Amino acid sequence: MAFWKDFDEILTAEMASISGGIVAGTLLAYITHHVELVPALFILLPGFLEMRGNISGSLSARLSSALFLGAAKPKVRKNRIMKGNVLASVLLVIVVSTMLGFVAFFANMVFFHILDYRIIAIAFIAGLLSNLIEIPLTVLTTFWLFRHGHDPNNIMGPYVTTTGDISSILSIFIAIVIV
Amino acid sequence: MSHRKKLLQKVTKVRRHEHHPVLHNVHRKYGISRRTLFYMKEYGPRSHVAHVIVRESLKILVLASIISSIGGISMESITAQLLVITPLLILMPAMNDMVGDFGCIVSSKFTTMLYLGKVNRKWWRSRHLHTLFLVILFTSFLTSVFIGVAASVIAYWQGFSLTFDVFLKILSIAVLSNLIIVAIIFCISIIGGLGIYGKNEDPNNFLIPITTSVADLLNLVIFAVLVGMFF
Repeated sequence: MAFWKDFDEILTAEMASISGGIVAGTLLAYITHHVELVPALFILLPGFLEMRGNISGSLSARLSSALFLGAAKPKVRKNRIMKGNVLASVLLVIVVSTMLGFVAFFANMVFFHILDYRIIAIAFIAGLLSNLIEIPLTVLTTFWLFRHGHDPNNIMGPYVTTTGDISSILSIFIAIVIV
Repeated sequence: MSHRKKLLQKVTKVRRHEHHPVLHNVHRKYGISRRTLFYMKEYGPRSHVAHVIVRESLKILVLASIISSIGGISMESITAQLLVITPLLILMPAMNDMVGDFGCIVSSKFTTMLYLGKVNRKWWRSRHLHTLFLVILFTSFLTSVFIGVAASVIAYWQGFSLTFDVFLKILSIAVLSNLIIVAIIFCISIIGGLGIYGKNEDPNNFLIPITTSVADLLNLVIFAVLVGMFF
């Protein structure tokens, strides 16, 4: 009995989560000819996807805690906790994505003997762009869910990893085009 | 009421790194949960919310992202195959998601089992752990078949010339790498969970980041090795 209950719940959540991953992968396949032109992009990609999921996931979890404790209200205006959280997330994404760009650059230089600075600029710009998409999406969805009587903790985890993957790949694509 | 208000104001003035007795007193006297008091101490009016978050999160985020980037080096070594064999490219983000999800599920469920006494040092005797292993194994098999088929079909629609032989290889890579990773996730969760629990620490705080980071890294390495073997 416990087997089928767990199996049912985990399989349903997994299917939803990996469907988002497949959409992200399909986007990646569409931009193959751009990916080809930038060395070290595959070094950057897993770290970038991980970072996006971690930062948005933590942002949503912290906001949910604040909402449940009554420390913050589900509104955008005059919300000190939300502003602090958004500012921290923006800063974290900028710092970590730039650092990932440097890691990809040095790894590419050491392991593949290719010197290409563009990956640092791509990481930085993609970090900025993904902030513009993902942070408002995370904050507004968390507030919406809370206002409608749902527990954001149960829903936001798979949601932010899925939307984070898609927005990260779109941001990287735009950054490649810009650079 | 005013005394309670004064005490709560005192809580927000406690230095963040102190475990001041006033927290304990307020919790006992007024029944306010320790988590609420902790939250007030962390993000109260005297603290700069963004500064607290950045300082506490930066190290672990940098570490987790660097570990994933190390896995990325193995991906870069198979760039040629990834760019030519489109289904592999479509598979990658989905597999990454799946491994992270299984890492979270196994770690959190194993920790709960430890707290409920459903598993102990003789973990191999636990009926609950056997059930969890079977559930995860069965789920990971079905989901990896699903992503293998989905990636192949999407790639075919995009114009990739898919043969039955290539389809079988893609399916084998998805299934094999997932089954190996599930076994590794269980090993890390059991060894790490028992070790941390034995030191009277909460495995919830450590096990998920450790399991997901290591599983992500190994997933990319195993994926690269299997792609190298099959193609």
